[in-house]
Amino acid sequence: MNHDAPLLEVRNLVKHFHVGGGLFGGRAGVVRAVDDVSFSIRRGETLGLVGESGCGKTTTGRCILQLERATRGKIVFEGRDLTTLGEDELRPVRRKMQVIFQDPYSSLNPRMTVGQIIAEPLAVHGIVPDPAQRAARVRELLGHVGLLPQHARRYPHQLSGGQRQRVGIARALAVEPALIICDEPVSALDVSIQAQIINLLEDLQAQFGLTYLFVAHDLSVVRHISDRVAVMYLGKIVEITDRKSLYDAPLHPYTKALLSAVPIPDPALEAQRERVVLGGEVPSALNPPSGCVFHPRCPIAVDRCRGEVPELREIRPGHRAACILA
Amino acid sequence: MGVLLEVENLTTEFVTRGGVVRAADGVSWDVGEGETVALVGESGCGKSVSALSIMRLVAPPAGRIVGGRVLFKGRDLLALSDEAMRQIRGREIAMIFQEPMTSLNPVLSIGRQLTEGLEIHLGITPREARQRAGELLAMVGIPDSERRLGQYPHQFSGGMRQRMMIAMALACNPSLILADEPTTALDVTIQAQILELMKDLSRRLAVAMLIITHNLGVVARYADRVNVMYAGRIVERGTARELYANPRHPYTLGLLRSVPRLDEPRRARLDPIEGQPPDLTRLGAGCAFAPRCAFQVARCAVERPRLVPIGGGGHVSACWEAANLDRAVARSGAAT
Repeated sequence: MNHDAPLLEVRNLVKHFHVGGGLFGGRAGVVRAVDDVSFSIRRGETLGLVGESGCGKTTTGRCILQLERATRGKIVFEGRDLTTLGEDELRPVRRKMQVIFQDPYSSLNPRMTVGQIIAEPLAVHGIVPDPAQRAARVRELLGHVGLLPQHARRYPHQLSGGQRQRVGIARALAVEPALIICDEPVSALDVSIQAQIINLLEDLQAQFGLTYLFVAHDLSVVRHISDRVAVMYLGKIVEITDRKSLYDAPLHPYTKALLSAVPIPDPALEAQRERVVLGGEVPSALNPPSGCVFHPRCPIAVDRCRGEVPELREIRPGHRAACILA
Repeated sequence: MGVLLEVENLTTEFVTRGGVVRAADGVSWDVGEGETVALVGESGCGKSVSALSIMRLVAPPAGRIVGGRVLFKGRDLLALSDEAMRQIRGREIAMIFQEPMTSLNPVLSIGRQLTEGLEIHLGITPREARQRAGELLAMVGIPDSERRLGQYPHQFSGGMRQRMMIAMALACNPSLILADEPTTALDVTIQAQILELMKDLSRRLAVAMLIITHNLGVVARYADRVNVMYAGRIVERGTARELYANPRHPYTLGLLRSVPRLDEPRRARLDPIEGQPPDLTRLGAGCAFAPRCAFQVARCAVERPRLVPIGGGGHVSACWEAANLDRAVARSGAAT
């Protein structure tokens, strides 16, 4: 296998949802949840995908996992375009891509013990057919995520939030994936536990050579864990570059506003800090604004922004932004 | 500045399957007139229960206020009749919740939800109430208020609903607003809008605020004073500036260190607080934080520390090692 090629390449991904016009009437419309998104992730890398609710970051993740079929575009994973594969061909690929959800409580079956939850994918995919070996593998996986062998007999409700997220991670690890999509993996956890889980994800990445797509809205956490970062707004990537460039020298006015909106835990600093508070709210993806989708809220918009869709272009080496003024 | 609200030794218990839980265990704190005070802590630490207890909204039979006093403008709210309490709730003390959708009535128009309280509490005519409702919506930055009054909560976005909650809270000119995680459910840019709005209104109208949150950044920007809670007790209190610059409880210190910060160089590794929050049905005699504490000494396991003054300016900490913490911090800082 060519190790220089990206593990995952998303090319011009478009995902539309049709709404309304059904049994209860209502005007039919198209939600452009993901609108021409392209990026790639190298092996062992973490790409952070940030944006506010409804920006399409979760849908992008679901399209990669083939939980949603793309309307247009390509999802090239380990050299194969997944959008052309049928269910049977996809099954072995699904093993290679796992997901960790925001709320481990709703993504773990409450009637199964932790041991059963982690063993299930091992049995389903026929990875460890022998039950005794499977139990040993479950113990090993519990150890990888910082849980004890006796946790295998517990039920999800008997665990704390942080422990449940560890179970979710162990289940994802069980099938030895190459790519893990982490969808807001720490945002439902207490502050003191978030750092534990982030450290764990980093340790596991180093230990098993994992590649992460880290979907989140918390810019401080994304900065900590990501090698590169993409910022989404209303279905589009508005800026993408390496971590340092994005946080030290952001180019898109939306990225700047997001960074400025994050309060810093230091009252003395906060007192002197100038804030860019964006007016208005994220418009509906059913009826996105003309031109640059950000222009109605943009503090520096000019007339041209209303009519011209900005291209995501390279402004500095390796640093792309979709703003005609950048 | 006079004291507006004084909570003394408030103790609230809940009966659970695992046993009796002291969600608030003898907590004391106060809010001055026009002041913004924060209660900070993680889920289950008792911060929301403290606010609900003040409003006497702890649901029986499982929940019960078993001790303490809540002095509001000198009167003990816990000793008032239900009728007298109703006069205070929503009128003199208002509340804003985390998820506005669940605290607004989905089948009543926005206008009706605003005017109901005005008519009941202020005894004004429906017409006057309607006019005041329009003014309130304009005050919280909802444009086109006449048309908006006829709409329903589901026609409002999350940010607009929270603005509406703020309008409802302000309706009867309260002197205190209890805001329980007011921006946690909102997006970052909307969160900034709502917090700036609350800060601006509280200053302009001289309303005192109690902000309940787990977000240390929010606290830093908006609170004058901060109470840090852990396992049903206040473990540290001080002015926001003092607490962030000179934390004297290992839990406060741990919280501050565990979050990545945009204003600091990126660290190779985060410093989490190890372990899990305690099971409140099984608290021992010692400090509840001791099992997770990097600074614990023998005494911590057997004897619960009380809040004692650190320096001046009202800074207090409940830690046996509080006096040594700054030196210990310096040492561990040098070691890493």
